[in-house]
Amino acid sequence: MRLLIGFDLLDRQIVDRDGVPVGKVDDVELSDDARHVTALLTGQSALGGRFGGVLGRWITATTGGAEPRRIPYGLVALVDSAVHLSIKRALLTPPALEAWLDQHLIGRIPGADRAEG
Amino acid sequence: MKRLLAVTLGILTAIGGFVDIGDIVSTSEAGARFGLSHTWVLLVGIVGICVYAEMAGRVTAVSKRPVYDLIRERLGPRIALVNLLGAYAITLLTLAAEIGGVALALQLLSGAPYLLWVPAVALVLWLALWRVKFSTLERIFGLAGLSLVVLLIAAFKLQPDFSEMTKIVPPPGENWPTYFFVAIALFASAMTPYEVFFFTSGGVEERWTPRDLTLSRVNVFLGFPLGGLLAFGFLATSAAVYEPLGMRVDTLGQAVLPAGLAFGQIGLGLVILGVFAATFGAAMETSLSAGYTVAQYFGWSWGKYLRPKQAARFHTVVLVSILLAVAALLTTIDPVQLTEYMLIFSAIVLPLTYLPILVIANDRGYLGDRVNGRLANTLGVIYLFVILAAAVAAVPIMILTGMGG
Repeated sequence: MRLLIGFDLLDRQIVDRDGVPVGKVDDVELSDDARHVTALLTGQSALGGRFGGVLGRWITATTGGAEPRRIPYGLVALVDSAVHLSIKRALLTPPALEAWLDQHLIGRIPGADRAEG
Repeated sequence: MKRLLAVTLGILTAIGGFVDIGDIVSTSEAGARFGLSHTWVLLVGIVGICVYAEMAGRVTAVSKRPVYDLIRERLGPRIALVNLLGAYAITLLTLAAEIGGVALALQLLSGAPYLLWVPAVALVLWLALWRVKFSTLERIFGLAGLSLVVLLIAAFKLQPDFSEMTKIVPPPGENWPTYFFVAIALFASAMTPYEVFFFTSGGVEERWTPRDLTLSRVNVFLGFPLGGLLAFGFLATSAAVYEPLGMRVDTLGQAVLPAGLAFGQIGLGLVILGVFAATFGAAMETSLSAGYTVAQYFGWSWGKYLRPKQAARFHTVVLVSILLAVAALLTTIDPVQLTEYMLIFSAIVLPLTYLPILVIANDRGYLGDRVNGRLANTLGVIYLFVILAAAVAAVPIMILTGMGG
């Protein structure tokens, strides 16, 4: 499939097979000959890397220094107004900040595990 | 009945834009000082927000993505970050003002000072967002806000000088810069960016699909004009009561009084209920929007349709925003004044919000054959120029008039 990385992939929303947001395409990983996209990189550390400078370091710092999450391109089922993965979100490693906030703040509030109404 | 209830998203969104606490007081003030000579601004604002909310709703129904999600794709992460910071600042200032506004409405009912009510209002707000279903919230506050319709009936009873509606000049004793300052402030609040972010995120919360295109349009074309009409109610009743007396309006109590003069306690009760619902609704709209914009910029999972555990970062942003708003209020800053500062940020954010929406609404990659027609594009471009002109003029006029003093 031919895609313009800058136009069709970068900054696009990644969603899982149920449409739940997984992350943005904050950066991509290319094959050695730079002809194929091998993986999508998502997370503030990937975004911070693209920004560079002080601002980039600040954005990266919000993850507590965690590496960006790498999603092999083989998991991509379809690219339209979003990048659709063929798997459920739960099968991917959860983002560091999300996991930390779930464990230390949101998950501790009664009702955090309850679906709406 | 279900069909009728399906338009409450548009009504709630519009109420949060047109009759939030800052607008209630500043629109009433406009009526007291300038009579009905700003009516045209409300009309221009209603058409403008309808044009762009229709585009945004269409983009969301067809692509199933809220518009804020797409802004970073079109502007790139850097400029989108500028938009995010400005939009967040506007949303947070408005949120603080609304929590203060609900507290002020409770002060009118109870007599207890509003600062005592602030923490309680914030807690109830957060609990509602944590536990209650999105559509339930939208229905309760969208419909209760409609009790402000009493203002329109009051306007006909109080009989302001309706001939002023066609005059686009400041009345004797007022100058042009102040007249324009008020016009820009009214226009900016009609087009407040969090309206489209909230409206389209709400569409996603309600799982709109291309089949809901008509539903989205009904929401837009009913909700926003209705919101504008309620704002006109404040303008007209204030014009009728305060303009002849040469009085200024700067508190919520003064803004609701004309309804009391027209219909006694029942009128006053209805309008206070309406103000309570409108400001609480606007508080929900802004606190959720704060979470929506941050989460959608970074691509985090968001929304009330997920379990809070599944959207921990989103819920943290909402919680922290409410706490920041309370902290701001406890400095005893006047909540009504807070929203006036948002005009500075609007100048930056409005063009950066509506330009990408216009671009996306023309992109067949997202919309297929549902892209903008000639009418939507013509109006969209005209309004983009109006927005730019207002944005460029906002800050100099603000300094020139000392914020409309």
